[in-house]
This record gives sequence, structure tokens and C-alpha cells, in this order.
Amino acid sequence: MKPLHVAIGLLVLCAVALWQVTVIPESLMQMTVGPVLAASAVAIGLTVVSLLYGLSALRGRQIDESHEPDQSALPGSGARLLYLLAGGVVFGGAVTVAGFVLPATVCGMLVARAFDAPVGLRSLAVCGGIAVAFWVLFALILGVGLGPALPWGI
Amino acid sequence: MQSLDALLGGFANALQPVTLMWGFVGCFVGTLVGVLPGIGPALTIALLLPLTYHVPATSMFVMFAGIYYGAAYGGSTTSILLKTPGESASVVTSLEGNKMARAGRAGPALATAAIGSFVAGTIGTLALTFVAPWVVEAALAFGPAEYFSLMILSLVAVSAVLGDSILRGLVALFVGLLLGLVGIDLQTGQPRFTFGRAELLDGIEVTVAAVGIFAVGEAMYLAWQGRESKSGEVMKVSGSLWLSASDWARSWKAWLRGAFYGFPIGAMPAGGAELPTLLSYYTEKKLSKHPEEFGKGAIEGVAGPEAANNAAAAGVLMPLLTLGIPTSATAAIMLSAFEGYGIQTGPQLFSQQGSLVWTLIASLYIGNVILLVLNLPLVGLWVKLLKIPPPWLYAGIIVISTAGVYGAGNSVFNVGLLFAFGLLGYVMRRFGFPAAPLIVGLILAPMAEQSMRQALTISQGDWTTFVTRPLSASLLAIAVLLVVAPPLWRHVRRAR
Repeated sequence: MKPLHVAIGLLVLCAVALWQVTVIPESLMQMTVGPVLAASAVAIGLTVVSLLYGLSALRGRQIDESHEPDQSALPGSGARLLYLLAGGVVFGGAVTVAGFVLPATVCGMLVARAFDAPVGLRSLAVCGGIAVAFWVLFALILGVGLGPALPWGI
Repeated sequence: MQSLDALLGGFANALQPVTLMWGFVGCFVGTLVGVLPGIGPALTIALLLPLTYHVPATSMFVMFAGIYYGAAYGGSTTSILLKTPGESASVVTSLEGNKMARAGRAGPALATAAIGSFVAGTIGTLALTFVAPWVVEAALAFGPAEYFSLMILSLVAVSAVLGDSILRGLVALFVGLLLGLVGIDLQTGQPRFTFGRAELLDGIEVTVAAVGIFAVGEAMYLAWQGRESKSGEVMKVSGSLWLSASDWARSWKAWLRGAFYGFPIGAMPAGGAELPTLLSYYTEKKLSKHPEEFGKGAIEGVAGPEAANNAAAAGVLMPLLTLGIPTSATAAIMLSAFEGYGIQTGPQLFSQQGSLVWTLIASLYIGNVILLVLNLPLVGLWVKLLKIPPPWLYAGIIVISTAGVYGAGNSVFNVGLLFAFGLLGYVMRRFGFPAAPLIVGLILAPMAEQSMRQALTISQGDWTTFVTRPLSASLLAIAVLLVVAPPLWRHVRRAR
């Protein structure tokens, strides 16, 4: 990934934003400023600065911190990133059916794996402990709605 | 005199056992997040927002203030003992502090940081107490046009001053503004940028964006790098945890100078804490009788920046409490908390929620004392925290972040959005885009639009209202200068 790819991503976002501005429904209310003005101003502003960023990236003037000394990624960077994302997917996919503690534990274990901790009993114990402690403090004591701790509803 | 009476009333509330307990919890949690790398006050306060439904406003804001001040205190411990600042404003402290620790003077370094933080935090809070009512009085003369211009100035200042590129700051700002406009337009009821998704009609939660960018994004970046798998070398707390007569003599002027840099700069839009800490460091280096010690462990180089950092924390609260304008990511999250309680910020806050505001300010004084007591005696505990292996630290941060966002609305959609913001945060971190403009833009976009509409309604659609009202025109002129002047100045210098 390079700054130029970021610029392309930004321009795609701008295109989507400009398209979304065109589909904002007309307001039937009589008013000085409708719902479109600010939205279009921001979309146009973003397009302008994104184009400037793209031009600057083309000229090689934009930075990628991974090129700085001691900042480059070690081998296996893609896999580590995927482990971390998988943690989020597991939590989001399972929390409504499996309660809070199990998905949060697996999420924690996958995140720890992303930081090179082996998947094992130790990881299970630490992440399970974090999940249980968080659920007890927030759901049980402070009343935040995290759902049941376990699928069978504790 | 009126301020003093109100402050005494605030003390009476803040010293109630329950409020005091929340203040203590806030100071403890704040110090903890200041010590731990990868988790800061903005993220912590964002994660605690779901509690707004369960805890009274006064207790909650007293705790938030404790977290905010505590993080400024705690950041110094990591900087000195690990040379990995827990937050960006402590970077300068690590330059001299870690050198002192390596030379067997970690104790005096921690002591001057803690006492300096107390002195400057108290000076900053005193300034907030007596200057804020003046600002409120002046702000009562603001109309919607002035508010709109002030918000534009804040947005531009946050983008142009923070980070090392105005262009990247502006890109982050516009992305934030775009995200801030997602959802139903409050005035006409028309959906904008929602792609027909019902989940987006209420807009994007600031919590989701902030936690995604600060916690998940940072963790993704560090995991991608793969260099965080082992804990860094934590220095032993060597030397007495008290200052010698010579250390006192070299520290006290630096504390005062740091405080006088910190508060006013912190109170400016985008002033933040980084600039005053840097200014303080270079001032101390210039004024020191021992300039040869700088770079090798000069105590003034710890005392001044730490004082500036804490005074700036008080300064940042001023525009937030008096004008309702956040000038940092943490202040933006606190503004979101005010909204969560249905409290209107701005000059009316002092008249309509006077008890809350003065309790909050009183709790800052009390918090400073709690933090002084917490910091030095508990330094052993903070050192132990620094030894938590990164895999467990980040597993904890991500689980707590994900659960915090899920707990706010039981929304799996928001969990997905959290990780999408995480990816955005990773890209921003890697390619040098500052996060604060995005967060401040996200929260100010609907407010700025509202002010603009009100101003235009009053002026019957006359756009010149923004430039014909002297105060509004001045604020806009400063905003334009902030964007145009630095590149122009560079161009002139190159031409010479």
C-alpha cells in the first residue's frame, strides 16, 4: 500500500459522497438553507483536498511511516492484521447467540495471536478472565446492557 | 467574588462522599490509562459513555475530569521509566526523564513530574476559575454568525496546527465533516449519506469513531508492524522519591514557566498540550544554568514540560465549558457526553447548569491533590502495569473497546463499524493523517451547519452576514490566515 493507493481510496469516497448528495430528497419545507448545501460543500471540499493529496502523492511528497527506520512491518504482517480483524468478526457474529463471555474470550485470544501470543490454555485463561471481569463490572454491577454472560442466559 | 461563592458551592458538592468516590475512581483510572501505552483519556472516556444512562451527570463529569487530569499525570511515569510515552504530550518528558532514570535518578524525575503536575494543574484550574466567567460574559454577545465562524476557526486550527501537514489535516477534517453529516437532517428530516440503512439514520456515534480510530486502529498498526510482541525495558525506580534542595531550586521556576505556557496555549483552538511542552522544554534549555546536562538528564527538562502538560489540560476545558467548542479529541468526547445527558454546552452552561460546572471545577482542585497522593506512593503499582505483556494488554484493550461499543446500543452494526474505523485509523496512522481533526469535525459538523442556518435565517438569506459582523469576520480572517500563511511563508523563505 502506498500514498497513491490512499489517494485513490479517497477519490472513490468522494465519488460516493457526491453521488449520495444527488440522492438527498428535496425538502418540502420553505427555508433559507436546505439539507443539500452543507453536504455538497463538504463533498466538494473533500474532493478538492483529496485531489491535492493525490497530486502530492504522485510527486512522491506524501509519507508512509513504514519506510521510517524501525517502523517497517516484520514478516507475517498480513496474517497478524487478519487475526485482529477476525477477532472483531467473531465477536460481532456470535455475541447475539452465544452470550458475551465466549465471543469476547475468542476475540481476545485472536487479538493476542495478532501480537504473537500462542493460542493455548494460558491465552484462554487470560482472555476469559478479562471477558468475565468486564461483564461482571459493567453488566452486573453498573447495569450496562451487554446481554447474558453465557448462551444459556446467566 | 461571585466566582468564589459559586466555587465554594462546587466544593460542597464535590466533597460529598459519593462524588468524591467517583473523582477518586476517575483519577485512578486516568493515571492507569496515562501509564499504559495505546490507551488514552479520549478512548477511556468514550468507552465509559454507555454509563451516562446509569450514573448522575455530576458524578460522571467529576470522574471524566479525574480521568483527564490523571492521564496527564500518568503519562510521565511511562515516559520516564520506559521511554514510551503513554500519550503524545509526554513525548518531551521522555527526552530528559528517561536519561535521568538511566543515570539512577528515576525517583527525583518522577517526583518533579508529579509535584510539577500538581503545581501547574492547580495554577491552570485557578485560571479556569477566574477567567472562565469573563469568557462566558463575552460569549453571551455571540450570535449564530459568530458561533459559525468560531467553529470554522476551531476546525481549521485543529487541522492546520496539529500534525505536520496542513493538507493531511484538511483531508482528515473533511472526512470527519462528511461523517458528521451522516443521518437525518435535524431541520428537514431528510436522510443524508445513509445508503438506505436504518442504522445510519441517527448518525455515526462519536464513541464508535473515536474508539475505532484510537484503540482498534492503533492496535492494528502495532500488530501489522509486529514489533510490540515483547515489553520494553522498564527502568527501576532508583533514587529517593523526593527532591533534594538543589532539585527543588532547579524545578520550581520551571514549573511556573511551564504553567504559564500551558494554560493559555491549551485554551486556544488546537493549542493542545504538545506545543506548550515543546516550548517549555526549549525555554528551560535556554535559561538553564546547566545547559550541558540537556540530553543527558536535566531535571528542568522534566519539570517544565510536565507542568505545561497539566496546565494545558485545564486550558482545554475552558473553550469546552464556556463556548461549547472542543479543541481536542478528548474535549470532543466530553462534549458528546454532555449531549448524552441532554445538557446544552456554551455560555448558558454556567447559568443553567451552574452547580454541575462549579462542582466539576472544584473536583479539579481535589483531583490534583488525589493525583499527587496517588502518583508517588503507588509508583510500584504503575511500574508493574508497564510489565504487562503486549498481547494481553492489547487483547484487553480490544475486548473492552468492542464490548463498550456493543454495550452502548446492543448494535452488532456498530461493532462492524468499529472495526471499519479501526482500518481507517490504521491507514491514518501509517500515512500520517492526524486523528483529532476527524473526531472534532465529526462532532462539530452538525453544530456548525445549525449555526449557519440560524445566522442565515436571521439575516434573511444574506451571506455577507458572516463578513459584515466584525467579530465573525475577524474569526474567519484568522481561519484563512492559518491555512494560507504557513505555505506563503515557506514560499517567501524559499524565494529569498
